[in-house]
Amino acid sequence: PFFVNRGGLPVDEPTWERMWRHVGRIHPEGDRVAQRIRGAADLPKIPIPSVPVFQPSTPIPERLEAVQRYIRELQYNHTGTQFFEIKKSRPLTGLMDLAKEMTKEALPIKCLEAVILGIYLTNNMTTLDRFPISFKSHFSGNYFRHIVLGVNFGGRYGALGISRREELMYKAPVFRTLSELIFDFEEAYRRCWHTLKKVKLGHCVSHDPHSVEQIEWKRSILDLDKLSREDFRKELERHARDMRLKIGKGTGPPSPTKDRKKDVSSPQRGQASPHRRNSRGDRRPSGEKKPADSKAMPDLNGYQIRV
Amino acid sequence: MDPGAGARKERQKPREPAARLEKAKQRSAQQELKQRQRAEIYALNRVMTELEQQQFDSFCKQMQASGE
Repeated sequence: PFFVNRGGLPVDEPTWERMWRHVGRIHPEGDRVAQRIRGAADLPKIPIPSVPVFQPSTPIPERLEAVQRYIRELQYNHTGTQFFEIKKSRPLTGLMDLAKEMTKEALPIKCLEAVILGIYLTNNMTTLDRFPISFKSHFSGNYFRHIVLGVNFGGRYGALGISRREELMYKAPVFRTLSELIFDFEEAYRRCWHTLKKVKLGHCVSHDPHSVEQIEWKRSILDLDKLSREDFRKELERHARDMRLKIGKGTGPPSPTKDRKKDVSSPQRGQASPHRRNSRGDRRPSGEKKPADSKAMPDLNGYQIRV
Repeated sequence: MDPGAGARKERQKPREPAARLEKAKQRSAQQELKQRQRAEIYALNRVMTELEQQQFDSFCKQMQASGE
């Protein structure tokens, strides 16, 4: 299960109790974990990290490192309860207010929160393009979802984010093409025994923190099962080209494809998109359970490598 | 002018600082609760992070062993 705190902070009692009940169920020590922590007088004091502030002369790559350090300092949230509710359809201005709250409250976060925070912390870097990159992967009969914030500075691609796995988050802006960046993520997935199934690329996010635009999360949807390696690469580069040309909603000509916003699941474009399975009903966080297939890997009492 | 109105106005004034004081107390209590929760959340996160790491390490060893 995946819990979200929808009542703001401080966490209300039902949500708080649910968090501890969940921990009691999944930790081998059960309720002893809660007994040790709840009400303890000697809990360590965790300083609130300072939001990075930069001199105008600080190079962008250095700023990105500092932003990533800040995100990392908040820590990946392993509690099982997400503390900030993110509605992806909210206007950017609302999401930026939420990001500001995240910096004030300074709690552990998960990947989507890190993307929103990454946008907030890089809004003043106007020469840096930011765009969401979503992944769907498969491991031991289950599908997992993850998201990072792709960045492009001076033609070099990288990423900001947070993950359980070190290799599935920060990437320094050194990749010469978007394909190289995505292939790097694909290889990282392979190294933790996940098979990458889908990549969804969003469009560039506005730098205006008061913009009422929505983030476009899935401008290109690439199904790796249906695309040859070369077509996958081509579609990634098409997306990169569209971003470079700043092809926006109704602004300027799109790349020469019949129907860009649909799934690209085969080299034959223009067909309807039968593979767009990630509709509203399918939008669940990482670790969703699907019926196991016959290729179950050896696991540790049901342990799933989540990302 | 209604002779009681001035007296009523006089009676209302002392309540305002009391209401403000009450609000300030509530805010302070909320802030304390948030700080307490934050401390417990990070303590819990440390435990759960260690658990995840242990399980991941064990899994990796298993995979390496089965590979050999």
